[in-house]
Amino acid sequence: MFGWGIFKGMLVTLWNFLLTYFYPKKGIFTVQYPEKKIPVAQRYRNFPFLVYDGTPHMIRCVACKICEAECPPKCIYIVPEKDPEGKVLKKPAVFDIDYAICMNCGICEEVCPFDSIYMDHEYELSKYQRTEDLMAHKEELLKPWEHFAKIRPLDFERIEAKRAAKNAKAKPAAPAESSAQKPGPGLIPPRQGQEK
Amino acid sequence: MTEFLDQIFIIAKNGALNFLGVFLPDWMILLARILISVVTLVAIAPVVMMYMTWLERKVLGRIQNRYGPNRVGIFGLLQPIADGIKMLTKEDLVPKNADKVIHFIAPMVIVIAPLLVLAVLPFGRNLIAADLNVGLLFFLGVSTFGVIALFMGSWSSKNKYSLLGGMRAFAQMISYEIPMLLSVVPVILTTSSLSTVAIVEAQLQGKWFIFTPWGGFASLVFFLCGVAEVNRTPFDLPEAESEIVAGFHTEYSGMKFALFYMAEFISTFAISGLAVTLFLGGWDGPGILPSWFWFGLKTLILILIMIWFRGTLPRFRVDQLMGFAWKVFLPFTLGNIFIAALWVSLPFPGNFIADTIGITVILTLLQVFNRKEMPKKRKYLCAN
Amino acid sequence: MEFLYFLAKTGFYATALVTLGSAVLVVTLRNLFHCALALILCLLGVAATYLYLKAEFLAMIQILLYIGAIMTLLIFAIMLTNRLADQSVSQTNRQSLPAFALLAVFNVFCIASLTAVPWKINPASLTAPIDAKILGAHLMGTYVFPFEIISVVLIIALVGAVILGRTDQ
Repeated sequence: MFGWGIFKGMLVTLWNFLLTYFYPKKGIFTVQYPEKKIPVAQRYRNFPFLVYDGTPHMIRCVACKICEAECPPKCIYIVPEKDPEGKVLKKPAVFDIDYAICMNCGICEEVCPFDSIYMDHEYELSKYQRTEDLMAHKEELLKPWEHFAKIRPLDFERIEAKRAAKNAKAKPAAPAESSAQKPGPGLIPPRQGQEK
Repeated sequence: MTEFLDQIFIIAKNGALNFLGVFLPDWMILLARILISVVTLVAIAPVVMMYMTWLERKVLGRIQNRYGPNRVGIFGLLQPIADGIKMLTKEDLVPKNADKVIHFIAPMVIVIAPLLVLAVLPFGRNLIAADLNVGLLFFLGVSTFGVIALFMGSWSSKNKYSLLGGMRAFAQMISYEIPMLLSVVPVILTTSSLSTVAIVEAQLQGKWFIFTPWGGFASLVFFLCGVAEVNRTPFDLPEAESEIVAGFHTEYSGMKFALFYMAEFISTFAISGLAVTLFLGGWDGPGILPSWFWFGLKTLILILIMIWFRGTLPRFRVDQLMGFAWKVFLPFTLGNIFIAALWVSLPFPGNFIADTIGITVILTLLQVFNRKEMPKKRKYLCAN
Repeated sequence: MEFLYFLAKTGFYATALVTLGSAVLVVTLRNLFHCALALILCLLGVAATYLYLKAEFLAMIQILLYIGAIMTLLIFAIMLTNRLADQSVSQTNRQSLPAFALLAVFNVFCIASLTAVPWKINPASLTAPIDAKILGAHLMGTYVFPFEIISVVLIIALVGAVILGRTDQ
């Protein structure tokens, strides 16, 4: 009959309309943003952060400058710390990442030999100035190793196992229990005996 | 009590006039009588328009599986006010080559037409601003004014895209006016009066015209032509967001655009109100609730159906649009007049049978003659 | 109450002024589209005059048909044949003043003769009810022959328009 298709289409929209009232979980897919956020995946890459063990002085980075050399848009600027005689200490005095240039590729994380720079999940980074405020200095970049455990549990276990295998001395106490925790939402639980 | 609620607006108006009659001369009371109705209508129409935009956004959102606006007030009820403030504070650009006088008055004229026609809608028992005895003709005549104002708007922008949009809008609106007028003729035939109050009174006690054979189809045609007249989806080619920039109101910003928008929504309300008056019995309804409540409810249902159309249907192409008006609606409404004449002149069982036969014949003829344009069911040939 | 009659009379003079003024504008404005709009105003004035004469049906039909149909047709014609850039065309030439003078003399004669004739008015028509129903009954009854002739003329015009507008195939 002429017009039957339109009628069926209108029934479909009516069904969708009623579904949003009676079964909101299935009907509406809006996430009311500031109150509820969509959880991000574990390997989600946003801007980098530097890792410290324990206190912010125990920074893992030794200022080897490999990430500065490998960074494609050259957004990292490192100046190693020198003691009063001029001998180079294994710490960075200045470690700046320009968030306006950083393209979140994660190459700095992949090439770091000291497990000290990782990609963070923080995306709410609105600032008032484009150049001054978007330059992240060492103080803003430092985050504890526990933070990494919270945001990326699977990678945390893998890296901890690797570090434990490499140097049996510096095994941290707290993250050993976190390997028994459940993985994050929407992820496949680790298969037994998977990670190295 | 229900009587009081039903006539509450009339009682309030008479009370105000009695109060004013103490210290004002007679002729001023006459003017005040007119002014109270007019001012009420002109004050309520924009509020109705604002909450109609709210309703549209919420309902459209729910159809599209999302919430509508819900941040501004509770359930987004203050969203229209936020929109109003935004539109008022926008810069009012007038193109350099535009015809300044017409560019200025086009939005005003286009709002005047729907506001004027609200005067002849019977919102309830005795609740009509101007009981003209040619009320229906007034409605239909003044709504053609909006068409001219639209064209003024598009011409004065001196913009090729506006002009194209305006031409298409113009062509669409005048070709849908004819089936609209012709589909109203059976109602005039049956009630032999042009006054909207008389038309509602001929439909009291549930004998609405939509339940008659000619009325059911004529109301559908009237409603669809009304949707085309106010340029709503699926007929919103003139002002579609993805077509020709923005159609005829490209060069308008700020308050002038708000006036075009207001004219469209008040027209929607007016056409729904007229469809309710002509075919759905106006303010007729069980006596428990006041008559203006029934009118409002029926108008609301028709507006929701228009919003439902907007959420469901894609836009017509311009040749499909015009073809639909001239090849389908016009012959149907012409035949419908004969069918209504049969209804009026034959006694009870005979007219029903004659009407059903007549409508079947007309619909079959329409399908037969339009066969070339109707799309055939597609057969998909797969490789295997 | 006299104040209302006074207002009505002023209203009538205002309507007449608007009608005649916009008629003058139609023939003197330079922009063609403005002339069309002035013609719309003039026809609105005529509709208002019908309202003063208590012919509401005719007034509404005037708005519906003259403004809604005929003026839209005129505007379509302007729109399709006028380029956007074509704006000011003077409507008068050097002989406008002698022509005006001649027409004024002719007008004086016309008005004098029209007002001197004793036009016969049927007294029954002054108080007769004017209704759409009665108009319809008369159209189909006493005046059915002119009505049908007009329908035939319109159909001829329609058929002619279709033939003229048809592309040669």
